[in-house]
Amino acid sequence: MTPAAPAFRLAADPTVRVVVANLGLACCSLEVDVAIQRGLLVPDEDGAGAAHCVLLVSGTVTDVLAPAVVRHYEALPGHVSVMSFGACASTGGPYWDAPTVTQGVDRLVPVSVYVPGCPPRPEALVAGLLALTAEVSA
Amino acid sequence: MSHNDEIPAAAHGYIALTPAACTSCMLCVRECPSWCITLESHAVQTSEPGARRPTTVSVLDAFTIDFGLCMFCGICVEVCPFDALEWTPRFDYAASDRSGLVQAIDQLSGSGDQR
Amino acid sequence: MRTVESSRWWEELSALAVDGFTYLDYLTAIDRGTHLDLVAHVVNPDTVEHLLVVAALPGDSAVVDSLVPLHAGANWHEREAAEMFGITFTGHPDPRRLLLRDESAAPPLRKSTPLPARVDTPWPGAATAGGDDAAGRRARRQLPPGVPAQWVAEGP
Ligand code: SF4
Ligand code: SF4
Repeated sequence: MTPAAPAFRLAADPTVRVVVANLGLACCSLEVDVAIQRGLLVPDEDGAGAAHCVLLVSGTVTDVLAPAVVRHYEALPGHVSVMSFGACASTGGPYWDAPTVTQGVDRLVPVSVYVPGCPPRPEALVAGLLALTAEVSA
Repeated sequence: MSHNDEIPAAAHGYIALTPAACTSCMLCVRECPSWCITLESHAVQTSEPGARRPTTVSVLDAFTIDFGLCMFCGICVEVCPFDALEWTPRFDYAASDRSGLVQAIDQLSGSGDQR
Repeated sequence: MRTVESSRWWEELSALAVDGFTYLDYLTAIDRGTHLDLVAHVVNPDTVEHLLVVAALPGDSAVVDSLVPLHAGANWHEREAAEMFGITFTGHPDPRRLLLRDESAAPPLRKSTPLPARVDTPWPGAATAGGDDAAGRRARRQLPPGVPAQWVAEGP
């Protein structure tokens, strides 16, 4: 059973409310914490019913962990958009040639938005969420 | 976005290319550990007035950086002998499909559409 | 650093444990090309002295005693070294693969094992500055740094 993912509003656009399930697999995940600490993502107590649920894959997906990523995606309720955050999640990044690393999380689950960076800045996370919600509501 | 103001100008967000400075020497392409830069060029002969024989120069046709693979190591920026590559703090180039992270001359040089 | 005979690996590390080096920090291997170096880093928790213990193993028959009965913490380190470097740890209580899925995969951290991604991916640096010249001749073919010529020659 996956614990309920936290809901946030974006400081840049408070009308955007998202539920973010952060699958922090490596260092990129720290940028997500920084985005929260710097107030770019504002915890949204009563936002649990927010329309957009984002599975944020931040970090290196290894072949050993790949089934867990898929299970996590399938366990999230409702419509889930996947954000591939950082080079590792998008392509394997610095580990593109490693025999133990999945060459992009899009080989496992459909990805709605790719955020470049190694690591991407916290602001890039916000820009990615804006791009994603704009696309989903369009 | 207001948070832009907090990002230092020296931040490593994006690698910009000055096409006019690039001599197509291929150093960045060959040093990149991620193999994420591609370059196409062709040779042309130019003859300066008064020169004994024509010189061959490379003309840049295409240059791409795949930011899905780039590990932001900065080696390409360091090795470029002509300072054609430089870091910029830009961060807002998320893409909805994988190929959107492959940025070409227009985007890298800021002369085209920013997305 | 202390170099020991691989046949005395267990004895040497047991003796060190008696001398107070009771904590195994890590165990790994290095492919030297000519042979493998098996490396254990042990620590004396009371004095905080630490020591690298190294034993040379022949690449084609890398067999050594497991340290698990002595250091329980060697369990996963040995499983990783086994699959990554092709080393057999005799007496290991649970010699399953740890990280690699494919039972038949060649040990990926041996220098002789090609990295498929580096072989299958065309290297963008192979293009010649200025493109092929008018006569279609190419400049001397360059190889990607860090990729042995025989990997490229063998192909995928
Ligand atoms: S920063 Fe590093 S990985 Fe990125 S394009 Fe330059 S050399 Fe390649
Ligand atoms: S190193 Fe600089 S001049 Fe040479 S190809 Fe790269 S960008 Fe162009």
